[in-house]
Amino acid sequence: MKYYNLGETNWKETQLIYHAMALLDMEGLVLDSPGGRYVSLGLHQDPRDEIDFEYCKDNDIGIFRREIGGGTVLLDSRQIFFNLILKRDREGVPKIPENFFRKFLQPVTETMREIGIEAVYRPICDLVVGTKKISGNGGGEIGNCRVLAGGIMLDFDRETMARALKCGGKLKQMYIEQMKINLTTVREELGYIPPKEKIYSLLIEKFSKLLGHMAEGTMDAAVSEKMKELDQHYSSERWMYQRGVKQLGREIKVREGEYLFHHIFPGDRGDLGITFEISGDKVEKILIDNSCKHVTVNRNELENELIGLEYDCRKIIEIVTDMMNNKNI
Amino acid sequence: MDENNLKRIPAEGGMSVVEINGMNFPLDRVYYTRDGAHIWLKQEDELIKIGMDAFLVEYAGYLTFLTVNESRVKVGESVGSFESAKFVSRIYSPTDGEIVAVNEEVIKNPRKINEDPYDSWIFAVKPDSSILDDESEYILDNEEKILKWISEEIKKVEEDE
Repeated sequence: MKYYNLGETNWKETQLIYHAMALLDMEGLVLDSPGGRYVSLGLHQDPRDEIDFEYCKDNDIGIFRREIGGGTVLLDSRQIFFNLILKRDREGVPKIPENFFRKFLQPVTETMREIGIEAVYRPICDLVVGTKKISGNGGGEIGNCRVLAGGIMLDFDRETMARALKCGGKLKQMYIEQMKINLTTVREELGYIPPKEKIYSLLIEKFSKLLGHMAEGTMDAAVSEKMKELDQHYSSERWMYQRGVKQLGREIKVREGEYLFHHIFPGDRGDLGITFEISGDKVEKILIDNSCKHVTVNRNELENELIGLEYDCRKIIEIVTDMMNNKNI
Repeated sequence: MDENNLKRIPAEGGMSVVEINGMNFPLDRVYYTRDGAHIWLKQEDELIKIGMDAFLVEYAGYLTFLTVNESRVKVGESVGSFESAKFVSRIYSPTDGEIVAVNEEVIKNPRKINEDPYDSWIFAVKPDSSILDDESEYILDNEEKILKWISEEIKKVEEDE
């Protein structure tokens, strides 16, 4: 297998390259870092639900909807990406997502430890330091390959991340606070950022230990051609706005098990907006929008029903809607 | 795997279910295994209804998204995708034919598949010819074959852990 150490790369190409390689059945490890800022959405996300288009346009933030899973994330040059492309039928490639992530994130954990950060794998696909996420990952099948796409946060602009997402003022502030509690970066852990080249070298060394010797590869004409072709497709409105599954309410994921979920419940006396703080995959806190004072709701009853409930947005909506119907709210 | 974990239990109406490690495989349908697929096929008149089996549901975890394209399809072609555990997997067609119906209920709420994989068909296809003949080498239609297949699949997962 080959590795491709591309260094700083045009932001869109950081996505196109692993899609192109997978569709060409080319196995490999790609390491790079984007030259510009962009938000990347998971396959099943709809940018109309996720993105503040105006803010992104005004601030020169690109948008890319990838073929693999996971949530919306702001990416920029302060992150290092590792993309591992493996054939689906290759021996030793786990079929179960959790096993896949556990196995192929091991070299990343070892890399972090080598630079002095005690990161550990936390299912399903995060690397954390203590309770804070330092590396977010997603995966999926593209063509005949299985792909791991992940990044190490050297530094992270929480403010811009929150502003690029479509969420109201209070939710935005809560999101920033949650990110402060639940995310960390290499700079925050070490007090400085080691040279990117050092991290690339370590990743190559650790992935080689797991997958066998890797030779350095260079991108050939076939990959460049495929990337051009895919650029047309992935930049098209048809792809970008292909209607995914409409979100119920607004869910923002902070890290594995930690979410903010906001939903507006229509009632006879007006709408009731509620934000649910989810921690450890359970409802931890309920916050009623200030603008909903006209709707009288029994907070204790809500809390009794919902606090500690395993997070399932459909279930939450069902319980609150039933409660409102029963009380003629 | 412990032999005690394998059993055949008679179900209501005379239909049998193979149970392996708590996962059920009703014998009122067949199972399709090409390229590692874990889908069930159930003939209903001229249509074949297709869904996910208990093994896939058990190991994939909660399904968060599911999409299927209503279109003409070829065998082995991706007809849709599902996401669980931040991993996108594809659903491949077991036949040449036309997808004539998609179960909107499970598209809207894929967790229904986790709750009851055998009551949650995903799409119905009108095959151009008999899947059972064309793809017979990938079709499991009896207890013995299903037990052998699932036991091997469980072993593979255990080796990966």
